[in-house]
Amino acid sequence: MLEVKDLRYAVNNNGASQEIIPAMSYRFQKGRFYAITGPNGSGKTTLAKLIMGIYAATAGKIILDGVDITAKPVNERAQAGIAYSFQHPARFKGITFRELISIAANTDDATEILRLMKRVGICSLSHLDIPVDGKLSGGEIKKIELATTIARNPKVAIYDEPDTGIDLWTIEPMVKLIKNEQVNHGTTTIVVSHNKAFLEAADTVLILRGGQFFFDGTFAEALPHLNNISVCDYRTCGDKTYDECFR
Amino acid sequence: MNAFDKLDKELLRAVADLEGIPKGAFNIRKNGALLARECNANIEIENNAKGTGIIIRIKANTRNESVHIPVILSQAGLYDVVENDFIIGENCDVAIIAGCGIHCGSDQQEGHAGIHSFHLARNARVRYVEKHIAIGDGSGKRALNPTTKVQLDSGAHLEMELTQLGGVDEALRVNEVVVDEGASLQIIEKVMTAKRQTATSQTSILLRGKGARSNMISRSVIRDDSRQVLYAVMEAMAPCFGHIECDAIIMDRGTNETVPSLKALHPDAELTHEASIGKIADEQLMKLMSLGLSYDEAVNRIIQSFLK
Repeated sequence: MLEVKDLRYAVNNNGASQEIIPAMSYRFQKGRFYAITGPNGSGKTTLAKLIMGIYAATAGKIILDGVDITAKPVNERAQAGIAYSFQHPARFKGITFRELISIAANTDDATEILRLMKRVGICSLSHLDIPVDGKLSGGEIKKIELATTIARNPKVAIYDEPDTGIDLWTIEPMVKLIKNEQVNHGTTTIVVSHNKAFLEAADTVLILRGGQFFFDGTFAEALPHLNNISVCDYRTCGDKTYDECFR
Repeated sequence: MNAFDKLDKELLRAVADLEGIPKGAFNIRKNGALLARECNANIEIENNAKGTGIIIRIKANTRNESVHIPVILSQAGLYDVVENDFIIGENCDVAIIAGCGIHCGSDQQEGHAGIHSFHLARNARVRYVEKHIAIGDGSGKRALNPTTKVQLDSGAHLEMELTQLGGVDEALRVNEVVVDEGASLQIIEKVMTAKRQTATSQTSILLRGKGARSNMISRSVIRDDSRQVLYAVMEAMAPCFGHIECDAIIMDRGTNETVPSLKALHPDAELTHEASIGKIADEQLMKLMSLGLSYDEAVNRIIQSFLK
């Protein structure tokens, strides 16, 4: 089980402390599929990065299977069983598909690396030694990102906007793959997304607003809120104040 | 390699990946003198008339053969200068493995300047690999100043892989290449400096013939307080294509100056360049750390792959 307790994250905004996540508490049950959605700027990616350790919490605790991991760096959280799929994956000059998956899966076995590549829809042998660099398309880089996440066989898999850059025809197989990983390996799965396909596939939909979950339930129950989410009640947009704004 | 002592073997392994006597032709130079040489039916190696170096002649149509010409230095105070000419016949397809390894065990300067001139005849293909390295506990300055001059006749192709990965205090590399009609050039230059080392690279490529192509890739890693400077000039006199890609990763307090220059002297020339200088991107470190690597392991992996 993954738990966040009184988790806070604040940033310095021109000398003033601005709270992005104000004292959040939540328990992610083992083996469930959570979809986190909400308006832009509501703190979805921030929460995901706090769990992975990419951002350091201002206060509060993050507990994985009873162990406080709040102070652990990213690599130790990875070794503890958390995997993270970045919305905008890093590109490297020199590191190839083979090397990146090899690091993720901790194996040099080409057959296993190819099997992982095939699972995300990269079937060409010639891709093995292609660098994961700026020449890849948005779809290719997201597929390799997905492959490195499932290669970890993690306890907790976090996918930040996995459909960014992916064509419409690839989203459904991607949802199936993530769902299969959850079901077959008991992976606690957290997907940050606006995409209906991921929200429908989730056991639990969490709607985030102002750094807090204001909804926790099934997709069917979430629908009325989701239909209304394009109109947010943020009081401040930039340097102007609105009663309502369209996001 | 019975003729070689332990240090020779270490240097030869570092600069030419040699674990024993190389297959094919070779010329091994140690402390300014010939140590071993082997020719064969297609590859002839002889001293030049001035006695300042060697001439390597490769017969037309020679294919799938290689020549090793490493230089090793371990004599305190020696600055070895050598002038080598490579005459490659038509339709050849060969590999030339050069390089210089210095062992410095004293406080005296040691250095090497290899001045190499290549002439590739029509449709010849050459892969030229040159590695430079310096080792040893001595405090003397280790200098390597290679010059490579190349003439590519029509349809010829040259791949140059130039590597300097450690221990060299001062380096000035000069590359000058003329690319004629339909010929092509690929240069990959990889340099890592540390401590207070300096490395300067000056490359001039003249795309002289119609359909000439050139691609230059430079990868630099600058550690500690070291400094690297790169000048890359590409000049086009015909309808042709050229690209320069220079990337530098600065670590610690190092500095870098990168100056790519493109000169289109023909309206149908197509020349491009991209250059970047900076630290290792946080997103790259985070990605590798999210796969379980420590910070140091992630840095090493990024650098190794960048210079691969």
